Amino acid sequence: MPQANVYAVASKDIVFESFDGEAVVLDLASGKYFGFSDSGSRVWQALCSGVGAQALAGSIAGAAATGATGLDAFIAQLVELGLLVPSDGTAQPLPDELAAELAAANEPLNVSVHDDLADLIIVDPIHEVEEPLGWPAVKQAS
Amino acid sequence: MPVYNRERYVVPALRSLLRQRDAADLDIIVIDDGSTDGSADAVRSMSGESPCIRLFQQQNAGVTRARNTGLRLLKPDTELVSFLDSDDISPAGRFEADVELFRKDPGLELSYSRMMLVDKIDDERLEPAADSYRITVRGIHLSSAIFSRRLVERIGWFDEEFAQAEDTDYLLRGFEIGPRYVLPETVALYYRRHPGNMTKQEDVQSREFLRAIYKSMKRRRANPSLRPIEGIFELDKLTDWRFM
Repeated sequence: MPQANVYAVASKDIVFESFDGEAVVLDLASGKYFGFSDSGSRVWQALCSGVGAQALAGSIAGAAATGATGLDAFIAQLVELGLLVPSDGTAQPLPDELAAELAAANEPLNVSVHDDLADLIIVDPIHEVEEPLGWPAVKQAS
Repeated sequence: MPVYNRERYVVPALRSLLRQRDAADLDIIVIDDGSTDGSADAVRSMSGESPCIRLFQQQNAGVTRARNTGLRLLKPDTELVSFLDSDDISPAGRFEADVELFRKDPGLELSYSRMMLVDKIDDERLEPAADSYRITVRGIHLSSAIFSRRLVERIGWFDEEFAQAEDTDYLLRGFEIGPRYVLPETVALYYRRHPGNMTKQEDVQSREFLRAIYKSMKRRRANPSLRPIEGIFELDKLTDWRFM
């Protein structure tokens, strides 16, 4: 069973964008970056926008490779990687378009972890500039 | 050298190259990307005195296309290629030090040196001002690199999908294809930090940087023979960087 129904992005250090429907996620604190399979990108997108895990499980139950069991493990992995945390927010509905894309997904939920660009990612250019510190401003280790 | 409205800085930038004429047979290609200030006139004036500066003007098309215009204008016999932005300074001795590495090793394809971030440059002496704050890192910057012509041809064009971070993408592509490279201690660039630097447009920068990472990841997923980019960049000293 998943730990929770609703999740949120774990911290401000987790930044992400979607390109051609594929999510890329950076952890600015560790310098790791994460790539997703097609189905993984959709699930990430849904969870980040507050869609409940239960609603997701219902939508992808029909897709052979991305069944509900896979979903639980996948979410647990995202939590373990420090990308998501359980939230007590209200579950948002799954947009129809996303539901259709999930139903059509035919590959396993997957996230790959990379750390070869850690030095580059930790330092900027992503970090917010806090004038008058100027660029590059680097988050101090807490 | 792409130029867009850098009237104040482009002359020192070019002078910093001209002072190194003894180190290499320089062909300085300047692409004026539709400047609306006196940048093109300033470059033209210098070009009159120094024919190794070749000025080309185009309608404003952005830095990525300007860089590709420059690559298209390389002379057939050009052996080594580097870049300098129009607001930065090439340190004295930079080319002498690293060009020599190519002379010693004909198989060398890339030297990737250090850069110094400087908050104040003496534009007469073309050196960091005495009271400047500075820090030296092996960052991510095209000016840190000297590419062999062969490598430039292997890497291909700058990806015009990028409005920014085209340099990050280009360098990542360069390292992924596994060139023979060295990481010299040379300071290859004085990188001027001032309020007008393009990289301070944070929103665009963030997305474009993420796009560069994404594309690198995608290329390596599709082609496992591409190399991970490990041990190149050393940026940890930037944690000390502050404008005083």
